[in-house]
Amino acid sequence: MIELKGVRKRYRGRYVLNGLSFTAEKGNITCLIGMNGAGKSTVMKAIMGLVPVKEGQILVNGKPRGRWIYEKISFVPDHLTMPLSMKMSEGLTFMADFYASWNAERAAELMRFFRLEPGEKIGNLSKGTAAKYNLVLGLAPNSDYVLMDEPFSGIDLFSREMIADVFSSDLIEERGVLLTTHEIGEVEHLIDKAVILQNGKAEMEFDCETMRSEEGKSIVDVMREVYSR
Amino acid sequence: MRTGGGWEEVEFNSREPVYLQVVRHFKEMIVAGRLEAGQVIPSRRELGTLLKINPNTAQRSYKEMEERKLIVTEGNSPSRITQDDAVLRAIRAELLGEAVDAFVSAVRKVDVPVEELLDLVKSKYIEALSSSPADVAAEGGAERP
Repeated sequence: MIELKGVRKRYRGRYVLNGLSFTAEKGNITCLIGMNGAGKSTVMKAIMGLVPVKEGQILVNGKPRGRWIYEKISFVPDHLTMPLSMKMSEGLTFMADFYASWNAERAAELMRFFRLEPGEKIGNLSKGTAAKYNLVLGLAPNSDYVLMDEPFSGIDLFSREMIADVFSSDLIEERGVLLTTHEIGEVEHLIDKAVILQNGKAEMEFDCETMRSEEGKSIVDVMREVYSR
Repeated sequence: MRTGGGWEEVEFNSREPVYLQVVRHFKEMIVAGRLEAGQVIPSRRELGTLLKINPNTAQRSYKEMEERKLIVTEGNSPSRITQDDAVLRAIRAELLGEAVDAFVSAVRKVDVPVEELLDLVKSKYIEALSSSPADVAAEGGAERP
Protein backbone atom coordinates (compact mmCIF):
# COMPACT_ATOMS: atom_id res chain seq x y z
CA MET A 1 0.00 0.00 0.00
CA ILE A 2 1.09 3.55 -0.76
CA GLU A 3 -0.14 5.80 1.99
CA LEU A 4 -0.08 9.59 2.23
CA LYS A 5 -0.78 11.15 5.62
CA GLY A 6 -1.32 14.88 5.98
CA VAL A 7 1.12 15.78 3.22
CA ARG A 8 1.68 19.52 2.73
CA LYS A 9 3.75 21.03 -0.02
CA ARG A 10 4.30 24.72 -0.54
CA TYR A 11 5.11 26.02 -4.00
CA ARG A 12 5.57 29.70 -4.81
CA GLY A 13 3.96 30.82 -1.56
CA ARG A 14 0.88 28.62 -1.97
CA TYR A 15 0.08 25.24 -0.46
CA VAL A 16 -0.40 23.01 -3.53
CA LEU A 17 -0.91 20.05 -1.21
CA ASN A 18 -2.53 21.03 2.04
CA GLY A 19 -3.00 18.06 4.35
CA LEU A 20 -3.45 15.40 1.68
CA SER A 21 -4.20 11.88 2.89
CA PHE A 22 -5.21 8.83 0.84
CA THR A 23 -4.12 5.28 0.11
CA ALA A 24 -3.51 3.26 -3.07
CA GLU A 25 -3.61 -0.51 -2.60
CA LYS A 26 -1.85 -3.29 -4.43
CA GLY A 27 -4.13 -5.11 -6.87
CA ASN A 28 -6.27 -2.02 -7.32
CA ILE A 29 -6.44 0.71 -9.92
CA THR A 30 -6.70 4.01 -8.09
CA CYS A 31 -7.40 7.20 -9.99
CA LEU A 32 -6.43 10.62 -8.74
CA ILE A 33 -8.86 13.07 -10.26
CA GLY A 34 -8.50 16.82 -10.21
CA MET A 35 -8.74 19.92 -12.34
CA ASN A 36 -5.63 21.30 -14.02
CA GLY A 37 -3.38 22.74 -11.33
CA ALA A 38 -4.98 20.70 -8.53
CA GLY A 39 -1.61 19.20 -7.68
CA LYS A 40 -1.95 15.74 -9.25
CA SER A 41 1.54 15.70 -10.73
CA THR A 42 2.98 17.07 -7.50
CA VAL A 43 1.50 14.07 -5.66
CA MET A 44 3.26 11.68 -8.04
CA LYS A 45 6.55 13.53 -7.77
CA ALA A 46 6.25 13.65 -3.98
CA ILE A 47 5.77 9.87 -3.82
CA MET A 48 8.81 9.39 -6.08
CA GLY A 49 10.91 11.84 -4.09
CA LEU A 50 11.31 14.18 -7.05
CA VAL A 51 10.04 17.11 -4.99
CA PRO A 52 10.96 17.40 -1.31
CA VAL A 53 8.13 17.10 1.21
CA LYS A 54 8.76 18.41 4.71
CA GLU A 55 5.33 18.04 6.25
CA GLY A 56 3.34 14.83 6.49
CA GLN A 57 4.24 11.24 5.79
CA ILE A 58 4.52 9.07 2.70
CA LEU A 59 4.65 5.34 3.44
CA VAL A 60 5.21 2.48 1.02
CA ASN A 61 4.21 -0.97 2.29
CA GLY A 62 4.10 0.61 5.76
CA LYS A 63 7.63 2.02 5.69
CA PRO A 64 8.82 5.58 5.09
CA ARG A 65 9.86 6.11 1.49
CA GLY A 66 13.55 6.01 0.58
CA ARG A 67 15.82 5.02 -2.29
CA TRP A 68 14.60 1.42 -2.01
CA ILE A 69 11.22 2.35 -3.48
CA TYR A 70 12.69 2.77 -6.97
CA GLU A 71 12.67 -1.01 -7.36
CA LYS A 72 9.13 -1.22 -5.97
CA ILE A 73 7.42 1.66 -7.75
CA SER A 74 7.75 2.65 -11.37
CA PHE A 75 6.77 6.10 -12.53
CA VAL A 76 5.46 6.98 -15.97
CA PRO A 77 5.71 10.76 -16.21
CA ASP A 78 3.61 12.76 -18.68
CA HIS A 79 6.51 13.00 -21.13
CA LEU A 80 9.31 10.69 -22.27
CA THR A 81 12.57 11.19 -20.41
CA MET A 82 14.79 9.01 -22.59
CA PRO A 83 17.65 10.30 -24.76
CA LEU A 84 16.05 11.19 -28.10
CA SER A 85 18.93 9.85 -30.20
CA MET A 86 18.38 6.28 -28.99
CA LYS A 87 16.35 3.67 -30.80
CA MET A 88 13.48 2.19 -28.79
CA SER A 89 15.39 -1.09 -28.46
CA GLU A 90 18.42 0.77 -27.06
CA GLY A 91 16.15 2.55 -24.59
CA LEU A 92 15.04 -0.83 -23.25
CA THR A 93 18.67 -1.91 -22.73
CA PHE A 94 19.37 1.41 -21.02
CA MET A 95 16.53 0.76 -18.56
CA ALA A 96 17.68 -2.83 -17.99
CA ASP A 97 21.07 -1.50 -16.88
CA PHE A 98 19.48 0.81 -14.33
CA TYR A 99 16.83 -1.37 -12.74
CA ALA A 100 17.35 -4.74 -11.07
CA SER A 101 13.57 -5.22 -11.34
CA TRP A 102 13.61 -4.90 -15.17
CA ASN A 103 11.75 -7.75 -16.88
CA ALA A 104 12.98 -8.01 -20.48
CA GLU A 105 10.38 -10.62 -21.38
CA ARG A 106 7.53 -8.38 -20.30
CA ALA A 107 9.15 -5.44 -22.12
CA ALA A 108 9.10 -7.46 -25.36
CA GLU A 109 5.49 -8.48 -24.73
CA LEU A 110 4.52 -4.83 -24.18
CA MET A 111 6.30 -3.75 -27.37
CA ARG A 112 4.19 -6.31 -29.24
CA PHE A 113 1.00 -5.31 -27.40
CA PHE A 114 1.41 -1.69 -28.51
CA ARG A 115 2.75 -2.74 -31.95
CA LEU A 116 5.90 -0.67 -31.54
CA GLU A 117 8.84 -0.93 -33.93
CA PRO A 118 12.03 -1.46 -31.84
CA GLY A 119 14.27 0.04 -34.52
CA GLU A 120 12.53 3.41 -34.54
CA LYS A 121 14.34 6.41 -33.07
CA ILE A 122 12.81 7.81 -29.87
CA GLY A 123 13.19 11.38 -31.12
CA ASN A 124 11.01 10.63 -34.14
CA LEU A 125 8.01 9.18 -32.28
CA SER A 126 4.56 10.77 -32.57
CA LYS A 127 2.91 11.84 -29.34
CA GLY A 128 0.68 8.76 -29.19
CA THR A 129 3.54 6.37 -29.90
CA ALA A 130 5.75 8.11 -27.36
CA ALA A 131 2.99 7.69 -24.75
CA LYS A 132 2.81 3.95 -25.50
CA TYR A 133 6.58 3.57 -25.31
CA ASN A 134 6.56 5.47 -22.03
CA LEU A 135 4.11 2.87 -20.67
CA VAL A 136 6.35 0.04 -21.89
CA LEU A 137 9.17 1.52 -19.79
CA GLY A 138 6.91 1.86 -16.74
CA LEU A 139 5.15 -1.51 -16.94
CA ALA A 140 8.13 -3.70 -17.85
CA PRO A 141 9.82 -3.76 -14.40
CA ASN A 142 8.57 -6.23 -11.78
CA SER A 143 7.39 -3.38 -9.60
CA ASP A 144 4.61 -3.60 -7.02
CA TYR A 145 3.15 -0.26 -8.05
CA VAL A 146 2.98 1.78 -11.23
CA LEU A 147 2.30 5.51 -11.14
CA MET A 148 1.04 7.05 -14.38
CA ASP A 149 0.70 10.77 -14.83
CA GLU A 150 -2.04 11.64 -17.36
CA PRO A 151 -1.48 8.59 -19.59
CA PHE A 152 -4.35 9.66 -21.91
CA SER A 153 -3.60 13.32 -22.25
CA GLY A 154 -3.29 14.86 -25.72
CA ILE A 155 -3.25 11.63 -27.76
CA ASP A 156 -5.57 10.26 -30.43
CA LEU A 157 -8.65 8.14 -29.74
CA PHE A 158 -7.22 4.81 -30.92
CA SER A 159 -4.04 5.21 -28.92
CA ARG A 160 -6.15 6.07 -25.89
CA GLU A 161 -8.22 2.91 -26.42
CA MET A 162 -5.10 0.81 -26.73
CA ILE A 163 -3.72 2.29 -23.53
CA ALA A 164 -7.04 1.69 -21.74
CA ASP A 165 -6.83 -1.96 -22.85
CA VAL A 166 -3.68 -2.36 -20.77
CA PHE A 167 -5.79 -2.03 -17.63
CA SER A 168 -7.91 -5.05 -18.48
CA SER A 169 -4.94 -7.13 -19.62
CA ASP A 170 -2.66 -9.31 -17.53
CA LEU A 171 0.20 -6.85 -18.13
CA ILE A 172 -0.94 -5.08 -14.96
CA GLU A 173 -1.23 -8.42 -13.11
CA GLU A 174 -1.53 -8.05 -9.37
CA ARG A 175 0.14 -4.69 -9.19
CA GLY A 176 -1.22 -1.48 -7.77
CA VAL A 177 -1.79 1.33 -10.24
CA LEU A 178 -2.13 4.98 -9.36
CA LEU A 179 -3.01 7.17 -12.29
CA THR A 180 -3.99 10.79 -12.66
CA THR A 181 -6.46 12.22 -15.10
CA HIS A 182 -8.56 15.31 -15.51
CA GLU A 183 -10.83 13.49 -17.94
CA ILE A 184 -12.45 10.44 -16.47
CA GLY A 185 -14.18 9.21 -19.70
CA GLU A 186 -11.75 6.48 -20.76
CA VAL A 187 -11.32 4.92 -17.37
CA GLU A 188 -14.69 5.29 -15.69
CA HIS A 189 -15.37 1.52 -15.89
CA LEU A 190 -11.80 0.44 -15.33
CA ILE A 191 -10.85 1.93 -12.01
CA ASP A 192 -11.48 0.48 -8.57
CA LYS A 193 -11.11 3.58 -6.52
CA ALA A 194 -11.31 7.32 -7.11
CA VAL A 195 -9.67 10.09 -5.12
CA ILE A 196 -10.92 13.58 -5.92
CA LEU A 197 -8.32 16.21 -5.28
CA GLN A 198 -9.37 19.77 -4.53
CA ASN A 199 -7.71 22.62 -2.67
CA GLY A 200 -4.74 20.39 -1.90
CA LYS A 201 -6.84 17.78 -0.09
CA ALA A 202 -8.60 14.54 -0.94
CA GLU A 203 -12.18 15.83 -0.98
CA MET A 204 -13.54 12.36 -1.67
CA GLU A 205 -12.01 8.89 -1.65
CA PHE A 206 -14.36 6.09 -2.64
CA ASP A 207 -14.78 2.63 -4.13
CA CYS A 208 -16.44 3.15 -7.53
CA GLU A 209 -18.63 0.01 -7.51
CA THR A 210 -19.85 0.77 -3.98
CA MET A 211 -20.72 4.32 -5.05
CA ARG A 212 -22.70 2.96 -8.00
CA SER A 213 -24.56 0.33 -6.02
CA GLU A 214 -25.28 2.37 -2.88
CA GLU A 215 -25.92 5.79 -4.35
CA GLY A 216 -26.45 5.12 -8.06
CA LYS A 217 -23.85 7.76 -8.88
CA SER A 218 -21.22 7.73 -11.58
CA ILE A 219 -17.76 9.13 -10.91
CA VAL A 220 -18.68 12.19 -12.98
CA ASP A 221 -21.78 12.71 -10.79
CA VAL A 222 -19.58 12.72 -7.68
CA MET A 223 -17.07 15.08 -9.33
CA ARG A 224 -19.87 17.49 -10.24
CA GLU A 225 -21.07 17.50 -6.62
CA VAL A 226 -17.59 18.14 -5.25
CA TYR A 227 -16.80 20.95 -7.67
CA SER A 228 -20.12 22.72 -7.16
CA ARG A 229 -19.70 22.95 -3.40
CA MET B 1 -10.56 -19.80 -27.19
CA ARG B 2 -13.58 -19.10 -29.34
CA THR B 3 -16.38 -17.51 -27.46
CA GLY B 4 -18.76 -16.67 -30.27
CA GLY B 5 -20.24 -13.22 -30.67
CA GLY B 6 -21.86 -10.96 -28.19
CA TRP B 7 -18.93 -9.86 -26.08
CA GLU B 8 -17.85 -6.80 -28.00
CA GLU B 9 -21.05 -4.82 -28.00
CA VAL B 10 -21.44 -4.34 -24.26
CA GLU B 11 -21.96 -0.69 -23.43
CA PHE B 12 -21.69 0.03 -19.75
CA ASN B 13 -23.90 2.43 -17.91
CA SER B 14 -21.79 4.50 -15.54
CA ARG B 15 -24.37 4.70 -12.74
CA GLU B 16 -24.88 0.98 -12.21
CA PRO B 17 -22.29 -1.38 -10.74
CA VAL B 18 -20.25 -2.79 -13.62
CA TYR B 19 -20.22 -6.31 -12.14
CA LEU B 20 -24.02 -6.44 -12.12
CA GLN B 21 -24.12 -5.25 -15.73
CA VAL B 22 -21.77 -8.09 -16.60
CA VAL B 23 -24.06 -10.60 -14.84
CA ARG B 24 -27.00 -9.17 -16.76
CA HIS B 25 -25.10 -9.56 -20.02
CA PHE B 26 -24.54 -13.24 -19.25
CA LYS B 27 -28.26 -13.67 -18.56
CA GLU B 28 -29.11 -12.00 -21.86
CA MET B 29 -26.70 -14.26 -23.73
CA ILE B 30 -28.23 -17.31 -22.05
CA VAL B 31 -31.82 -16.44 -22.93
CA ALA B 32 -30.78 -15.54 -26.49
CA GLY B 33 -29.20 -18.97 -26.87
CA ARG B 34 -25.71 -17.53 -27.36
CA LEU B 35 -24.57 -19.31 -24.23
CA GLU B 36 -25.92 -22.80 -23.74
CA ALA B 37 -26.49 -24.87 -20.64
CA GLY B 38 -23.20 -26.48 -19.64
CA GLN B 39 -21.12 -24.39 -22.04
CA VAL B 40 -17.62 -23.45 -20.90
CA ILE B 41 -17.30 -19.70 -20.36
CA PRO B 42 -14.16 -17.54 -20.66
CA SER B 43 -11.79 -17.46 -17.70
CA ARG B 44 -11.89 -14.41 -15.45
CA ARG B 45 -8.82 -13.03 -17.16
CA GLU B 46 -10.21 -13.63 -20.64
CA LEU B 47 -13.50 -11.99 -19.68
CA GLY B 48 -11.62 -8.92 -18.43
CA THR B 49 -9.91 -8.57 -21.81
CA LEU B 50 -13.06 -9.30 -23.82
CA LEU B 51 -15.25 -6.80 -22.00
CA LYS B 52 -12.41 -4.37 -21.30
CA ILE B 53 -13.05 -4.41 -17.58
CA ASN B 54 -10.81 -4.52 -14.57
CA PRO B 55 -9.85 -8.08 -13.44
CA ASN B 56 -11.32 -7.32 -9.99
CA THR B 57 -14.67 -6.57 -11.62
CA ALA B 58 -14.52 -9.79 -13.68
CA GLN B 59 -13.75 -11.71 -10.49
CA ARG B 60 -16.67 -10.09 -8.68
CA SER B 61 -19.08 -10.88 -11.56
CA TYR B 62 -18.10 -14.56 -11.44
CA LYS B 63 -18.49 -14.67 -7.68
CA GLU B 64 -21.97 -13.18 -8.00
CA MET B 65 -22.91 -15.67 -10.73
CA GLU B 66 -21.59 -18.56 -8.67
CA GLU B 67 -23.61 -17.46 -5.67
CA ARG B 68 -26.73 -17.22 -7.81
CA LYS B 69 -25.93 -20.65 -9.29
CA LEU B 70 -25.81 -19.21 -12.82
CA ILE B 71 -22.41 -20.75 -13.37
CA VAL B 72 -20.68 -23.72 -11.77
CA THR B 73 -16.99 -24.24 -11.16
CA GLU B 74 -15.81 -27.71 -10.16
CA GLY B 75 -12.30 -27.96 -8.81
CA ASN B 76 -9.74 -26.64 -11.24
CA SER B 77 -11.83 -27.05 -14.38
CA PRO B 78 -13.13 -23.97 -16.19
CA SER B 79 -16.47 -22.48 -15.16
CA ARG B 80 -19.57 -23.48 -17.08
CA ILE B 81 -23.10 -22.23 -17.48
CA THR B 82 -25.40 -24.16 -15.17
CA GLN B 83 -27.44 -27.12 -16.47
CA ASP B 84 -30.07 -26.59 -13.81
CA ASP B 85 -33.33 -26.10 -15.70
CA ALA B 86 -35.01 -24.32 -12.82
CA VAL B 87 -32.28 -21.66 -12.75
CA LEU B 88 -32.34 -21.24 -16.53
CA ARG B 89 -36.13 -20.91 -16.57
CA ALA B 90 -35.98 -18.36 -13.77
CA ILE B 91 -33.51 -16.22 -15.76
CA ARG B 92 -35.79 -16.25 -18.76
CA ALA B 93 -38.81 -15.34 -16.65
CA GLU B 94 -36.84 -12.56 -14.95
CA LEU B 95 -35.64 -10.90 -18.16
CA LEU B 96 -38.98 -11.30 -19.88
CA GLY B 97 -40.78 -9.86 -16.85
CA GLU B 98 -38.47 -6.86 -16.71
CA ALA B 99 -38.85 -6.14 -20.42
CA VAL B 100 -42.63 -6.38 -20.26
CA ASP B 101 -42.75 -4.16 -17.16
CA ALA B 102 -40.70 -1.51 -18.95
CA PHE B 103 -42.93 -1.76 -22.01
CA VAL B 104 -46.12 -1.53 -19.96
CA SER B 105 -44.94 1.49 -18.02
CA ALA B 106 -43.98 3.26 -21.26
CA VAL B 107 -47.21 2.43 -23.04
CA ARG B 108 -49.40 3.38 -20.07
CA LYS B 109 -48.74 7.00 -21.03
CA VAL B 110 -50.94 6.45 -24.08
CA ASP B 111 -54.63 5.76 -23.79
CA VAL B 112 -55.09 2.56 -25.81
CA PRO B 113 -57.50 -0.41 -25.63
CA VAL B 114 -55.68 -3.63 -24.80
CA GLU B 115 -56.89 -5.39 -28.01
CA GLU B 116 -55.47 -2.67 -30.23
CA LEU B 117 -52.20 -2.74 -28.29
CA LEU B 118 -51.88 -6.53 -28.53
CA ASP B 119 -52.53 -6.47 -32.29
CA LEU B 120 -49.90 -3.79 -32.71
CA VAL B 121 -47.38 -5.69 -30.57
CA LYS B 122 -48.08 -8.87 -32.51
CA SER B 123 -47.55 -7.32 -35.94
CA LYS B 124 -44.43 -5.40 -34.84
CA TYR B 125 -42.98 -8.49 -33.20
CA ILE B 126 -43.53 -10.64 -36.30
CA GLU B 127 -41.96 -7.89 -38.40
CA ALA B 128 -38.93 -7.75 -36.10
CA LEU B 129 -38.48 -11.53 -36.19
CA SER B 130 -38.64 -11.68 -39.97
CA SER B 131 -36.14 -8.87 -40.45
CA SER B 132 -33.44 -10.44 -38.27
CA PRO B 133 -34.26 -14.13 -37.89
CA ALA B 134 -30.61 -15.17 -38.01
CA ASP B 135 -29.59 -13.16 -34.99
CA VAL B 136 -29.98 -15.98 -32.53
CA ALA B 137 -29.31 -18.94 -34.79
CA ALA B 138 -26.07 -17.70 -36.33
CA GLU B 139 -24.35 -16.60 -33.18
CA GLY B 140 -25.61 -19.17 -30.71
CA GLY B 141 -23.73 -22.29 -29.74
CA ALA B 142 -20.29 -21.37 -30.93
CA GLU B 143 -18.28 -24.49 -31.57
CA ARG B 144 -15.07 -24.72 -29.65
CA PRO B 145 -11.77 -26.52 -30.27
